[in-house]
Amino acid sequence: MTKRSWFAVGAVGAGAAVLAAVLPAGAQGPIRIGASLSLTGTYAKLGKNQHEGYKLCEKDLNAKGGLLGRKVEFVMYDDQSMPPTGVRLYEKLITEDKVDAVMGPYSSPITEAVANVTEKYKKVMVSPLAATTSIFKKGRKHIFMVISPAEVYLEGLVDMAAKRGLKTVAVVNEDTLFSKAAAAGAAELAKKRGMQVVYQEAYPKGNTDFSALLTKIKSLNPDVIAAATYFDDAVALTRQMKELNVNPKMYGVTVGGDLPEFYDTLKTNAEYIYGATQWEPGLPYPGNKEFFESYKKDFGHEPSYHSAAGYAGCITYAEGVRRAASLDPDKVREQLLKLEMKTAFGEYKVDQDGFQLAHKMVTLQWQDGKKIVVWPDDLAQAKARFPAPPWNQR
Amino acid sequence: MNVVITPTMVGQVIISGLLSGALYSMVALGLALIFGVMRIINVAHGPLLMLGAYTTYFLYSGLGLNPYLTVPVSMLVLFGVGLLLERTLIFRVVDAPELSSLLLTFGISIALVNATQLAFTSDLRAVEYLTGSWLVGPFAVSKPRVIAFAFAVGLTGLAFVFLKYTRTGKAIRATSQSREVAMVCGIDVGRIHLLTFGLASALAAAGGALIAVIVAIQPEMGQVWTFKSFLVIVLGGAGNYPGALVGGMLLGLVEQLASLFLTTQLSEVVAYVLLVLVLLVRPTGLLGGRQT
Amino acid sequence: MKRAGALALIALALAALAIYPAFATGYGVRAVLQIFMWIALAGSWNVISGLTGYVSFGHVAFFGMGAYTGGLLIAKTGWPWPLAALGGAAAAGLLALAIGGPCLRLRGPYFAIAMLGLNEVLRALVSYFEGLTGGGNGLSLPTLDATVPIYYAMGLTAAAVTAGTYLILSSRFGLRLMTIREDEVAAEAMGIDTFSHKLVAFLLSALGPGLAGALTARDQGYIEPLSVFPLATTITMIVMALFGGKGTVWGPVLGAAVLFIAQEMVWARYPYVHPLLFGAIIVAVVLAMPRGVLGLLQLKFRLPRTI
Repeated sequence: MTKRSWFAVGAVGAGAAVLAAVLPAGAQGPIRIGASLSLTGTYAKLGKNQHEGYKLCEKDLNAKGGLLGRKVEFVMYDDQSMPPTGVRLYEKLITEDKVDAVMGPYSSPITEAVANVTEKYKKVMVSPLAATTSIFKKGRKHIFMVISPAEVYLEGLVDMAAKRGLKTVAVVNEDTLFSKAAAAGAAELAKKRGMQVVYQEAYPKGNTDFSALLTKIKSLNPDVIAAATYFDDAVALTRQMKELNVNPKMYGVTVGGDLPEFYDTLKTNAEYIYGATQWEPGLPYPGNKEFFESYKKDFGHEPSYHSAAGYAGCITYAEGVRRAASLDPDKVREQLLKLEMKTAFGEYKVDQDGFQLAHKMVTLQWQDGKKIVVWPDDLAQAKARFPAPPWNQR
Repeated sequence: MNVVITPTMVGQVIISGLLSGALYSMVALGLALIFGVMRIINVAHGPLLMLGAYTTYFLYSGLGLNPYLTVPVSMLVLFGVGLLLERTLIFRVVDAPELSSLLLTFGISIALVNATQLAFTSDLRAVEYLTGSWLVGPFAVSKPRVIAFAFAVGLTGLAFVFLKYTRTGKAIRATSQSREVAMVCGIDVGRIHLLTFGLASALAAAGGALIAVIVAIQPEMGQVWTFKSFLVIVLGGAGNYPGALVGGMLLGLVEQLASLFLTTQLSEVVAYVLLVLVLLVRPTGLLGGRQT
Repeated sequence: MKRAGALALIALALAALAIYPAFATGYGVRAVLQIFMWIALAGSWNVISGLTGYVSFGHVAFFGMGAYTGGLLIAKTGWPWPLAALGGAAAAGLLALAIGGPCLRLRGPYFAIAMLGLNEVLRALVSYFEGLTGGGNGLSLPTLDATVPIYYAMGLTAAAVTAGTYLILSSRFGLRLMTIREDEVAAEAMGIDTFSHKLVAFLLSALGPGLAGALTARDQGYIEPLSVFPLATTITMIVMALFGGKGTVWGPVLGAAVLFIAQEMVWARYPYVHPLLFGAIIVAVVLAMPRGVLGLLQLKFRLPRTI
């Protein structure tokens, strides 16, 4: 090619580059919010609930005229429940898809990994399903917590036990990020209230036979068993407790205990068991009933707290944008830091690290096949049935 | 954390170990058959078990059948699935290097798990049929696990009788020893492969049907069973059928005892360390297996 | 002439890759970085399994080893990441030497399963020693945006693995490895010290993943046992090497690039179905092209052994 042609090519290239940089990318199109959800892999079920929560929020926002006069559109990918995949997807969303905003993924490990990306690009990220305190205490400036931290999941159980003068606690947990934090929190709370942690052991994810673990615990005969679990381990643990006749006066689990399937699976064996949840459909929060009905209609099943948290996280972010009257991360961030709000999910207020202060966990107990909120006192629907009778007397 | 371990506790845990060991043995026997006869490492074994569990679940929840009655049905269904898989895909890698069979069965396993997830979602299911235990002296013996144990022992026993005394069973063993000589003797080796894969799938399905009453059912439940079956056949000697029995019981016991004397977390490590140790000391397994 | 043309092409490709970060998006850089990682992994697996015939079914163990060693060196002792990466490679190498002895005595499926067991043992041990590694909580590294330098480091690793494979294939050492692959007994009869050859190949095949693991740990800023010791990673590197052509130099490169890009495209569009498609791809590759693309081309067009 001649020198002239090279020059022409260069000029055209430069012109195109300038044009591309100057043209705003769809300034008046919809506001695109990006996120990666765990639609396949280990977290698939709960990630799907969160996905549905986001979709319902998108629908509700658009029904009310959108955000800043523009429609809202979620761009969501599947991170396969793996943190490295989430990292790649958020980079993609931010740098290639050029979304206007991002919302958090499902679970603490993925949020932790992904937060490095969103901080790098200074994008505000409301993270509705991250319960691990450490994520929010690393000096990050753009990340906001919605749910109560893992450490307080078993607070209700411990508080009720202490008030009744119980003395000994055994703590078991799955060996993963969330469960470890919940267990550690429970153990510390117990010690603060003057109870003795007589046993603490972790089990690997996917473990199905707890007989050795329970045999050891039974020999110590603790008043309370606090288990930081998910669903299948909660079910297996409960069944084997019955088989081995392990009879604490109070037995509580975390994530699995609030799912309707818990009772469907265990039937009457679930009675007296305490569960912890971030949210219940019956709680007197504003818009809760409408959210519940709407969700059930759209998705054909009842929402879990993951659905509600996703929904509320998105609504909270939208409120921040509305108050800032802009999508500019610094302005939105400023608003989210001082915002105090009550959604269908409960209260929102964060400290200067974005760590959630106001939201309350509730502890429930299965009574006659229904989930009854028994703690805290101001939200309780009935008194707890205490103590739990031994298995062979039910 | 000052647990005093008493002999009763050890006894209790040994019982648990034996109960789960029998299940491991039965499921691993299927894997051993496939390896012995076809020289194939079937990574899709776990998903086959999972499908057996789902079959039982749907028969139980849809038709209200007693889950234990569905065991033969699950076995039959998966026998058919096994035949189908063998006839369409597996037979192509029978003579190929082991990498091909490893990868092919891995591909099938991903496809099966994902298809199940798409069809039935990842929602956890469970069969609430039987809980609680019988008291035998100072020991509590879990009802569903004992029944699973009984079935497992029975089915494994039947499998051995089949292998030892029936014509087809002998043909399977002959093919397992030497395919060429079996062909020369007039055995239709292709048919034997087909039957073996079907049979192994049925055994896996039985395992799935029995544990459906015990654990939560979800698409990924089979993965850990694939690993454990591998452990068992390596422990006992790949392709060695009584070895699968020994290996299964050994694994069950080791897991539970490690869980008691150490922690449940470590019991996972111990199982694998045992595997590596056995491989190093007796590469062909405890009872001697196939040299490739 | 052909050779000069080939070299020029390679040089051009390397130059393009070298200037890519200057005008690519953050995602683009990360994506190519991932391709480099897969090239390093698939290429390393190729050395022990493609060339020597010992199918390692737990090769990701070296990756995980490198990731945790590098991560710990950065997080706990404050080493700069390039040094920590070399530390990761060294740790992986030591691991290979330690277990190579016993494991390489095993044949066929036993070796494959032993490697699988090793991977699980490592993962469980890392989870157990949580005081050191954070166990199930994972290990967090101090925040550092080093994606571009790591892009180059990973690129160098991939290049080193590929160049190394070429050197091995065109050497006597490589010939002897392939002899071992074809018939180990005959190789011994010919006087080849099969054990030391296998061990060296095993050691070499561990360095690439070790380095890649440490670099990935730095890039991600957070690692946990489940994400650095997964079986799926081993399978993926195997399928990539197979697809491109195992036992060749450029096979893993081709396989890594093509399959990674295909995966990214499929996955963005079909979130729920991509594992199914991945499974189908594996089945297709194994059944239809067990020799891989380059293997097929080698046969048809009589391409040289060192392609």
